[in-house]
Parts: sequence; C-alpha cells; structure tokens
Amino acid sequence: MQEKSHLVEREVWVENRLGIHARPATQILNLARQFEAEILLEKEGLVANARELLAVLALDCPQGTRLVVRAQGADARDAAHAMVQLFARKFGET
Amino acid sequence: MSDTARILTGIPASPGIVVGRARVVSDFGDLQAAFRLLYTDQERQAEVRRFQEAVEQAQADLTRLRDRVAAEFPEHTHLLELHLLILKDQMLYDEPLRLIREENLNAEWALHRAYERVRELFSRIEDPYIRGRIQDVESVYRRLMGILIGQSPRRLIPPGEEVILVARDLSPAETTQMAGSGVVGFITERGGRTSHTAILAQSFEIPAVVGVDNAIREIAPGEEIILDGLSGRVILHPDVEVLERYRRRQEEFAAFREEVTTTAAEPATTPDGFATRVMANIELPEEVHLVGRYGADGVGLYRTEFLFLRLRHLPTEEELFEDYRKVVAALAPRLVTIRTLDIGGDKFLHRTDYVPEMNPALGLRAIRFCLKEKDIFRRQLRAILRASAFGRVRVMFPLISSVREVREARALIEEVKAELRREGLPFDEEMPVGAMIEVPAAVTLCQMLAPEVDFFSIGTNDLIQYALAIDRGNKQVAAMYQPLHPAVLRMVLQVVTAAGVSGVPVAMCGEMAGDPLHLPILLGLGVSELSMNPLAIPVIKRVIRSITLAEAQTMASRVLEMVSVEEINAYASRFLKERFPEIYRFGSALAGI
Repeated sequence: MQEKSHLVEREVWVENRLGIHARPATQILNLARQFEAEILLEKEGLVANARELLAVLALDCPQGTRLVVRAQGADARDAAHAMVQLFARKFGET
Repeated sequence: MSDTARILTGIPASPGIVVGRARVVSDFGDLQAAFRLLYTDQERQAEVRRFQEAVEQAQADLTRLRDRVAAEFPEHTHLLELHLLILKDQMLYDEPLRLIREENLNAEWALHRAYERVRELFSRIEDPYIRGRIQDVESVYRRLMGILIGQSPRRLIPPGEEVILVARDLSPAETTQMAGSGVVGFITERGGRTSHTAILAQSFEIPAVVGVDNAIREIAPGEEIILDGLSGRVILHPDVEVLERYRRRQEEFAAFREEVTTTAAEPATTPDGFATRVMANIELPEEVHLVGRYGADGVGLYRTEFLFLRLRHLPTEEELFEDYRKVVAALAPRLVTIRTLDIGGDKFLHRTDYVPEMNPALGLRAIRFCLKEKDIFRRQLRAILRASAFGRVRVMFPLISSVREVREARALIEEVKAELRREGLPFDEEMPVGAMIEVPAAVTLCQMLAPEVDFFSIGTNDLIQYALAIDRGNKQVAAMYQPLHPAVLRMVLQVVTAAGVSGVPVAMCGEMAGDPLHLPILLGLGVSELSMNPLAIPVIKRVIRSITLAEAQTMASRVLEMVSVEEINAYASRFLKERFPEIYRFGSALAGI
C-alpha cells in the first residue's frame, strides 16, 4: 500500500522526431487523467501540470529535451511508471 | 447574361456549381467585443454563467462537427479533438473564470486577457512546429468570442441552411470543419489552386473559387450568388433566367460526375485492346485516398517539394522517409512514382547561402540544384530507397538536359544503395529510375538518354514553356501557351519513337495529360501512361474506353499534317464535341485543376 503523500520522480527524454506537439501532449493529458496522483513535468526549472495541454505545449520540448516527471499521490508510482513508458514508446511516433 | 448580373473571376479550386446565400466572414480584427468591469456579485455570477454556457455551446458545436467529420473523413478529426481539449484547458477555461470572479472582468475581457497570455507564452516557444499550435488556440478563442458577442460560428454556418462562405482566407482547419456542415461552397480572396485548402475542398467535393480579388467588399452578406467552380466565376445579382440556367448546369454536372466516377476503377483499355495506365498526380500524404476514389492505377507523379517548404528547415532523412513510406505503404501494390526535388535553393535555403537569380526558370533548380547540393540529394535518395521496401516505387529526375546528369544521379543512387546494404536497411534493389523529359535538349537527345534509364516521363508544363518560350504567368503571352502546338506534338512523337526503339516506356505527367481534348491525339502518338489530377481520371478513362487506337492514330497522323495550332485545336474540339458532348462541356474543367 502506498502512502498518501508518496512522491515519485523519474527522468525522461523526448525521443520522437517532432517533439511534444499537439498529439503527444494530448496523450500525456489523457494518461494523467487516468490517475489520482498529481503529475508535474519539469524542464530546467519550469513546471507544467500534465493535465494541462497548453502548459505542456508551452514547455517547448523538441526532440532531445530532458524532463523530470514528478508524481505525487496514492497511485504516484504507477502514474510515473506509465508516463515513463509513454515517453519510451515515443508516443507511438518515430 | 442579364444587365443586372455582375461577375467576379477567380481561380477554379474545386469543381462543381452551387447556388446559395453568401455568408461573409469578416476578419478576426472585426470582432467588436465590449470590455467592461463588474461591480456586484450578481453581475459576476451572471458573467460566469454566460462564459460557461458559451463554452458548452462551443463544445456541443465542435462535438457535432467531429461526429459528422468522423463518419466520412476519420483522418481529419484530430484537429477537432484538439480544439475540444483546448476549450477546457486550464489557461483558456479556468483562468477566464478566475479573472471574472477575482478581477471583475466581463466574460469577453477575461477571455481576451487569458488568450493574450497564452499567445505571449507561445511566442517564446523556440520550436516552430510546437509554436504553430497557437493557430489552434486562436481558432478556439475566435469560436468562443464569436458566441459571446452573438456571432457564433453556429450562426455563421447554420446546419441545414446552405451557405456559400466568403472569406479573405481559410485555414486548413477551417476548411476541415466545412465537411458535413451547411457550407456548400466557398470563395476566398487568397490562395491558389494547389493550396492545402483547395486540395481539402476537392477531397470533400465542395466547389470552391479562390483568388477572387475584393470578394469580401463586393459580395453582400445574405445575397444569393452563384459559385461556378468549373470556370472560376462568381455571379452576383443573377436574374431568374441566369439562375435557372446554372441550376440546370449544376444538375447536369452532378449527374455527369456520378456517372463517370462509378466506373472509374475499371481498367482503361481501348475497344481494340490497347491497354493504358491512368495515374494520379499527388503532393500530400492526405491525397492518398483520392487515388482509390477516382480509380487511379497508381501515382505517376508524387511531388516532394511540399515537405521542404512546409518545414522551413531542411527535413531530416527520417522526416522524408516517414512521408514517403506512408504514401507508398498505403497504395501498395500500386506503383508510386516519386519525383526528386524540383525547386531551387531560393525556396528554403537561408538567405546567406543562396545567390538570387535573374531568371530562376533557367537557373539552378531541380536536378541541377540536387547535383550541386549532394547532401540534400543523398538524403532524399536514401529516404526514397528506404520507402521502396514498403511497396512499389520508382524514382524520376526532373529537368534532365544531358546524359551526364542521368549518369551522375544514377551513380549517387548506387552509392546510397551500397550504404544501405552496409547498414542492413531494406530497399528494392530493382527500383526503376527514370528521366523527365521537359527540356527541349532532352527531346533531341532522347535516343541517347533511353539506354540510360528505365522509363521516360514527359513533363508537359515545363516542356511547353521551354519549347514555345512562353511564361504562363505573364498575362501578355499566356494565350500563346498551346499544348497542341505542332512543335509540341512533334516533340512528343520524337520521344515516343526513340523510346520505342529501346523498349523504354513513356509516361506523361503534365496538365496536358489530363485534358480530354488532348487525349485522343496523345494516344494516337503512342503515349500509353498518363498521370493527372485525380479528379480528371474518371473522365480520361471513359474517353479511352470509347475510342479505338486505330481511330486515335488516324487523328494523330491527321494533326501532324496541320501547320497551325488553331487548326489542330479546332479539329480536336470538333471531335470531342461530336463524340463526347457532355465531356466537352464539363471534362476540361476537371482536368484544369
């Protein structure tokens, strides 16, 4: 059983060619909505809530960007894991 | 034409005729939103409700649009999905609500302020592709603002009521929204016949005329107008008689199109057994479905410039490969003919790397540019070869004017093949390589070029321009651009004859190939593969199935005796008019696009 304020941090890289454009941002949002945990994406000190499409786009993440996924909440571990997987799959792109 | 009617002329962008009331879309800047401060709790609550209701209405409109588009064009729904998400985004939904509640702004002001913040944020994004998504945010903002100030897009495009949209310009996203709406046609001041918007209109089969000067000023909102997407004309204040005539023409065209399209997929063989291939010219991966819809036997010309122009940076090999693979795989096992880059450096090289030319048509472009900028060429060749593993591909080089150019380009292909073999990447070892015949020098040399290639493709647009020394863009001489000019016909004959000796197949891929007026003569000269705008294919196939090769040969030898283009044109027109009266009326309009 995970504790309520569980915080999980994971490093991810944007590997798909077009970076986090509309479709990947939509996938991030849809995934984040499946979890209770709050999921933040951090890029060089700038933070965006994974549930907010425009904020994620505005982080400006072309191919090669390094991000930290920070999940907090009961299902934080699963949420962070799922997010890492999504990045690793390159959002189904090339 | 009656005394009262006025005609505006533009470029026919999507064929068809339609009569409807004009809905004039004013520019974004014309939206006059009133900004005011709120003083009481009651006012604030009312504004919160008003804003939420506007969002709900926009959501309902977009959902309905998405469902309609999904039924017919599932590949075009993603923009609408994106707009639905933006509508409820924190920055464009929660933030305006906060501004109403805490900063006492009315709904319009709050929305405007929130949008300005998003715009400011996006302006700092470095990646041009991601930054470009501000267009979608703007589209949602406009929709919401329109509802708030009482000019909702729902009233703009009322379901059920058929309207002709008149706008300065339409984005591809806006054009997409027209599918399944009440919009039966559109007119824009900007754009050309090959713009993305025009291509989408063709794929939705919505008649359109673009490039109509002053359309917004000339056309009164609510006025009944006629849009003729066949001739590129817009008729204002038509009287009853004119309306009647165009309504008849509209019905006849619809019946004609229906009839020719139903048999499009069948092979194009003449009654005496001469088998031809009728192929499609395409430019965007989105056009792939047109190939099947209009019964093309493959793609005879896949233009590859778009990706280079769209990205504004040099595309990577992966980007090129992805586009080519998509098209090739979707069409397999049909043949896809990829033309290598046919532009000069002015279109996408940085200004410092590019020396301006006095006369670009005679300058460093196409194969000349590619053989100079070998890195770019090599990148494209690698992408094409890699795509060849996913279907049937052949490649052709534009603007060939010497044997040396063909040899040099082929040598590069061999080098690239060796690289791919070393890297273990799959490709088609037998991929055919062709030369485009579009420079008079290539016509003269075609006997020597034939052993060097696997096929020829005559690019008539450039060949006619160079052979007759006519710039079609120059209005003073444009009328002298004559595909049936005796000199052009002799050149075609020369190429076909030389190729026949070496057993090299000859295709033709300019606009000339898609015009039913020219077709019998081309067949008679021995051209057996034609590539054209997909819309023209059903008509061309029908003509091929109705005339014998013997008849076409008789026509060809007769016109080869004629000394003037006027005589040849009259002869070809007479034939088409007598044998195919309905194609004579409508067919050329399909071909010209």
